[in-house]
Amino acid sequence: MRFALRRLGFYALAAWAALTLNFVLPRMLPGDPASAMVARFQGKLEPEALDAMRRAFGFTDASLVEQYLTYLRHLFSGDLGLSIAYFPAPVSDVIGTGLIWTLLIAGVSLVIAFVLGTLLGIVAAWRRGGLLDSALPPALAFLGAFPYFWLAMLLLYLFGYELGWFPMRHAHAAHLSPTLSVEFIGDVAWHAILPVTSIVLASLGGWMLSMRNVMVAELGEDYIQLARAKGLDSRRVMLRYAARNALLPNVTGFGMALGFVLGGSLLTEIVFSYPGQGYLLIQAVRNQDYALMQGIFLMITLAVLVANFLVDLLVLWLDPRTR
Amino acid sequence: MLTVSVEQQAAWIRNFNPFAAGGARWPTQGGIYEPLMIFNSMTGAWVPWLATGYTWGQDNRTLTLSIRDGVKFSDGQPMTASDVVFSFQLRRRFAALDQGAVWRFLDPDAGVERVGAREVRFTFARPYAPGLAAIAHSVIVPEHIWRHIADPVRFTNDNPVATGPFTEVLRFENQLFELGPNPHYWQKGKPAISALRMPAFPSNDQANMALVTGEVDWAGNFVPAVERTFVSRDPAHHGYWFPLTGSTVFLYANTTREPFDDPRVRRALSMAIDRQRLVDIAMYTYTRPADGTGLSQAYDRWRDPSAVAAGRQWMRHDVAAANALLDRAGFAVGQGGMRRTPGGSPWESTIYVVSGWSDWIRAAQVISRDLRAIGLDAKVRVFDFSPWFDKLQTGAFDLAVGWSNEGPTPYAFYRWLMSTRTVKPLGEASLGNWHRYGSADADALLDAFEATTDHDAQRRLVGQLQQLFVRDVPAIPLFPNPNWGLFSTARISGFPTADDPYATLSPNKLPEALLVMTRLVPTGSAGSSGESK
Repeated sequence: MRFALRRLGFYALAAWAALTLNFVLPRMLPGDPASAMVARFQGKLEPEALDAMRRAFGFTDASLVEQYLTYLRHLFSGDLGLSIAYFPAPVSDVIGTGLIWTLLIAGVSLVIAFVLGTLLGIVAAWRRGGLLDSALPPALAFLGAFPYFWLAMLLLYLFGYELGWFPMRHAHAAHLSPTLSVEFIGDVAWHAILPVTSIVLASLGGWMLSMRNVMVAELGEDYIQLARAKGLDSRRVMLRYAARNALLPNVTGFGMALGFVLGGSLLTEIVFSYPGQGYLLIQAVRNQDYALMQGIFLMITLAVLVANFLVDLLVLWLDPRTR
Repeated sequence: MLTVSVEQQAAWIRNFNPFAAGGARWPTQGGIYEPLMIFNSMTGAWVPWLATGYTWGQDNRTLTLSIRDGVKFSDGQPMTASDVVFSFQLRRRFAALDQGAVWRFLDPDAGVERVGAREVRFTFARPYAPGLAAIAHSVIVPEHIWRHIADPVRFTNDNPVATGPFTEVLRFENQLFELGPNPHYWQKGKPAISALRMPAFPSNDQANMALVTGEVDWAGNFVPAVERTFVSRDPAHHGYWFPLTGSTVFLYANTTREPFDDPRVRRALSMAIDRQRLVDIAMYTYTRPADGTGLSQAYDRWRDPSAVAAGRQWMRHDVAAANALLDRAGFAVGQGGMRRTPGGSPWESTIYVVSGWSDWIRAAQVISRDLRAIGLDAKVRVFDFSPWFDKLQTGAFDLAVGWSNEGPTPYAFYRWLMSTRTVKPLGEASLGNWHRYGSADADALLDAFEATTDHDAQRRLVGQLQQLFVRDVPAIPLFPNPNWGLFSTARISGFPTADDPYATLSPNKLPEALLVMTRLVPTGSAGSSGESK
């Protein structure tokens, strides 16, 4: 319990640091939001209208310290402010439309890649030098070297456009409205196959390699020899003895990976017109929409911190020595 | 059902506030809500819409519009002259709603008032003929709804009540929304199409794929090699029309910096550029080189042939003449054919463009190569939009590729290019006239234009403005931008084409697209073939 509390304190500190960075980084971008706004009016806005709009958007000349304090105060009252790119929609509404889809794509891909990669790693280490062990790691490392979005474009072109096996865009078909029906859920899964596959392919190699390497080291330990000598069932030795201990680095990596997958899925989403956060972030950066950028970063930060905290608890359970 | 691809977004955010600064969903500003009159850029005429006509009063200080009888809002309430007055007063009370900036020229006290049952009179603080466009294109909102909105600037207007052909939100999901017809639309029997459907495409590639596979009926996006990628897929139904009526793209030279303050230098730069090659390489031959007036095809009626002829002198590609000009201006040729400024330092410069705007980047690269032929070492530098625009606005650049103003008349176009009133001091952000060129002669002509509503007089003045532009070369015209418009007649017919140019095809151009929306019919229905007037 004390350990968990200490970790919680640490996460609070990390959250504060992230929130502060969150505030500082967008403001270090060159240019200013007021002029970025004009981009959408290319030659169609009267100069006189601009000043009034600037005031309406709430661009202030307040000092950074003041802005920072206001930012923190609003944050604690759950107010993320108004988006400039989607004015006058509140940032929470803008993010809300896509958050569930991003979490779905990123979460499902992460879990599949983790489970599949770990299992492959276990088998590869167990049958060291076998076909799986010699062929798969290089192939996956090769795939993993591609950026997510590049694989996504390749899959989209091959299986969506040329072969027409899978839908090319969106999270569900246009004629279906979001309900909890089997048909709708099936359709969502059908639409998620290509985007999820592209992320899984790109991230599988990392999980498999790290699992395999730790597992190989673990298999050389004395207690494994002992277990085998005792005549234990080989599957039991593989999974309960070696794999359980070899799993720890991968589990720790899980929390970290969430951040990467969330970041990578943003680009995948754009390729598949998936209605998540990806394009929102681009819009926010293009329009210097500080409030929206802060909102999206906040979501990603919180997701990563929560995932890491859960992972800490999981490690605690897996490995009593950490207590 | 008409499927349209206009805005590029990954997810739709619900917003039908016609005053929202760029954030409202298409077609809020011309389709859901409607303006008083619509400027048809193809015919150059004002089409009566919610107003049936207009008359200028004495000295052009007042403008009276007759409001159409029998128009109803989508909730069945009649639209009256009071709604028109209210819509303008709302813009006055909340300046952020006033995108056309009508209250910069309207009289603050007597600005807008109802006279008689169906007439609204606008009183100007000074004679200002271009005010017609700003007033006529302002959309009208129902007083009985907006009266109760405490903060119309931050109002997202989820369920619009309006006079336009499509007002009913049938579905609104983050990747798709549909608008159904207004049950009380004032044009009997219209719209003939059952609904508008807008799928969300985050990028041009996605929109093009849907277009090519026939899922989209009407689109306003850029398609490379359109004959091969789009038309050839279904020649019987697929069509496009890219009239050169968009804003003219310029090479802006900062006239506050030496040596670009010298018109001879600007002329030499212009003659160094091989514009035909530039449009072939940068624009897929979708456009043609601009002429010396800088006017796009949208202003064909205003074009002065003698100005065009005079402009040819420095618009033609003539490296020898450009070099001769520079020789006379005191630029000595040094090593490797590169020149030195009259001050003696190597002549170097930078062309600023926006990253990701690949057509303009290619254009800048062609220009950079061409300028080497006259001894100017001009490097291309790519910036993100925001810093690029910041440098442009504050005048912190040498050379930059940029757009120009659009409007019903060339008044605003030339005001941006050469009025002293649009010149801001260096360091201060300016919405236009980034090259900071001001001419007192141009001011006089623009003032005279503001004061007259006589078309012949206006034409004469615009002719003189063109002569002035050609003489002084405030900026270097490159090419007019096309207005992208594509369609498929597999399900819907009646789109304008080059053969039937009743309006611009591009759905991007609101409110002009209203003229198209109300003409479209389902393919195969009565009136879909032959004359559908």
